[in-house]
Amino acid sequence: MKLHYIWAALVGLSLLTATLTAANPSRAGLVLGVLVLAGLKSRLILRHYLDLSQSPVWARGFDLVLAFVLMAFAGLALAA
Amino acid sequence: MTAAQPTARHDEKPKASEEGAGGLPGELMIWVLIISELVVFGAGLLALLATRLTDPAGFAEAQSHLHRVGAAVNTVVLVSSGYLAALAVRLAAARPGLARLLLILAAGLGAVFLAVKASEYAALFAQGIGTETHAFFTFSYLLTGFHAAHVLAGMVLLLLVAVRPAPRPVGVAAAFWHMVDLVWVLLVPVVYLL
Amino acid sequence: MKYQTQKIALAYFAVAMALFAVQVIMGLILGWIYVSPNFLSEILPFNIGRMLHSNSLVVWLLLGFFGAAYYLVPEESEREIHSPMLAYLQLLIFVLGTAGVVVTYLFNLFDGNFALGNEGREFLEQPKWVKVGIVVAALIFLYNITMTVLAGKKTAITNILLLGLWALALLFLFAFYNPANLALDKMYWWYVVHLWVEGTWELVMASILAFLMLKLTGVDREVVEKWLYVIAALALFSGILGTGHHYYWIGTPGYWQWIGSIFSSLEVIPFFAMMSFAFVMVWKGRRDHPNKAALLWSLGCATLAFFGAGVWGFLHTLHGVNFYSHGTQITAAHGHLAFYGAYVCLNLAIITYAMPALRGRDPFNQVLNMASFWLMSAGVVFMTFTLTFAGTVQTHLQRVNGEAFMDVQDQLWIFYAMRFGAGVAVVLGAVLFIYSVAVPRREIVTPGPLERDRIEHDPDHVAAR
Repeated sequence: MKLHYIWAALVGLSLLTATLTAANPSRAGLVLGVLVLAGLKSRLILRHYLDLSQSPVWARGFDLVLAFVLMAFAGLALAA
Repeated sequence: MTAAQPTARHDEKPKASEEGAGGLPGELMIWVLIISELVVFGAGLLALLATRLTDPAGFAEAQSHLHRVGAAVNTVVLVSSGYLAALAVRLAAARPGLARLLLILAAGLGAVFLAVKASEYAALFAQGIGTETHAFFTFSYLLTGFHAAHVLAGMVLLLLVAVRPAPRPVGVAAAFWHMVDLVWVLLVPVVYLL
Repeated sequence: MKYQTQKIALAYFAVAMALFAVQVIMGLILGWIYVSPNFLSEILPFNIGRMLHSNSLVVWLLLGFFGAAYYLVPEESEREIHSPMLAYLQLLIFVLGTAGVVVTYLFNLFDGNFALGNEGREFLEQPKWVKVGIVVAALIFLYNITMTVLAGKKTAITNILLLGLWALALLFLFAFYNPANLALDKMYWWYVVHLWVEGTWELVMASILAFLMLKLTGVDREVVEKWLYVIAALALFSGILGTGHHYYWIGTPGYWQWIGSIFSSLEVIPFFAMMSFAFVMVWKGRRDHPNKAALLWSLGCATLAFFGAGVWGFLHTLHGVNFYSHGTQITAAHGHLAFYGAYVCLNLAIITYAMPALRGRDPFNQVLNMASFWLMSAGVVFMTFTLTFAGTVQTHLQRVNGEAFMDVQDQLWIFYAMRFGAGVAVVLGAVLFIYSVAVPRREIVTPGPLERDRIEHDPDHVAAR
């Protein structure tokens, strides 16, 4: 059962987010780093918790929309 | 992902929902809900960031009152709870007793999440911060409050399907729970970190 | 008509059509008052006429829904209606209540009386005795329909219809709660008004549309039901919290601006889904039903509802926009096309579908009926455009430039004149429709050259009759 690897990866990515935030990086580094990590976590949840890995078309569709949304987040956050 | 477990889940499902959803795993209706919720939270988060452009300094100041460590702890709590729920789905057919235990534990972690959230709100209230204090807090209360309401609803669902764990209802409740998880993962960076 | 009790629908549709005539004629009078503001100002003040225009609309739409339910529930549950006597009693209560309301409004009888006087809240002005009557009639209706469905087959269509009708009746109870605090008053008022038209009525609409699609296109029930459930879920998801778009400026906390903006923007989606549903069913459907007029009304309903309720609603639903456009002619434009598209066309569709069977004159002249669709729809669409332009100009002059209300109204005269013209077309269309369902007997229209060609060369084509 690989599910526990997914869980470990999610916890690991969360810790990475915390470390990155605590390290006080540049604004751009924080925004991009945190959003990329969030994107990776979302992808794991969608594919392995919600089993989208069984339907590659939907998985890709979600990835695409997620990527656009995260880019919009980054764009707005960096514009401020 | 091993192939065996998802197939075991699918044996229990009606063919109709699989065809209609164009190959989405599980029930069509829960995906309608998941996508609707993601659209709502996505729109809310975008609106927060867009409104932030009008007052970056004020938003940054307001945001500094939030408890980031609490948010990080809650992320770990939720993804762990999601793990237990996903495990319960895979075990519901073969070992319903174990699935029940996992669902109860998953709901228990939901309660931990809400306790952390409550202490966070209590700290903010103690500082006299409400929804009208600043535009940022309108958004942060609204988004985290909505999310917390979903955590509560998800806990109820998990406990309901734990009464008699069968693959189909457990799958639906777990899918809702994963959606709550997913929303939190996307919400934390925007509300707490950026 | 397979079941005798479906005949009940005829009585409901007849009263509905009478009130429809009252509604559009009152609309025409109001349209003229906009052009010439002193018209009838002593005999029929604008507020009274406005009340009759909107209340008769609501009542006839409801009677149409009831009639539709009495028509389609026997076919769906494969049972006669539990008690026809109760069904007629229910109609009688509605007719008495409506008559009482009209007389009370026109002469302002018993003003201020707890039980007999009008209550003074827009759309919920009914005197308390009428409100009680409405509740009793609704209970009779729900009892009657629910007993029929419980005894017979349960389908997705009756499930969603009953869900919508039960919720509709329960929400009406908020009409009895009238807090002294004006902000609270408005808050609960919308529980009835918004949660009706943007919640429960949408469920009724979706289920009646699903019934029509099932019968007219011959698509498998399973497919229709799946669409219906998704549409109902989307309608409730967006519609319930969409109530927030009425809470922007009434004294409720500021977070409603975001709840309202986000959820009500999503209200476009169920209407888009209904439009997609109708067209996909027609394309997929193998059955070419002879009642072409009913299909025209159904497709027109789904399309105009999407534009009127969906697009025109979205136009002014974001609170940043609504801050300027609130209460201008933009609202009137949206209101007219939304009600016409979603609920008027829906009722006219089910009436067009049911009438030939109810009146036993199956080959009937659909030409007049279809002509009335185009005339009425063109009228309402043109009215919507004139009011949208009027509202845009009004918003700019009044809300941006800060000119006085009446000065702006003077400058909008040309739009009101054009709107009156559109109103004339609508009234003529309505009269034509009522004539087409009420008067002509069995009659087959000689097909023209195009139609003759199709009948000869297209084996799937069934002639209209």
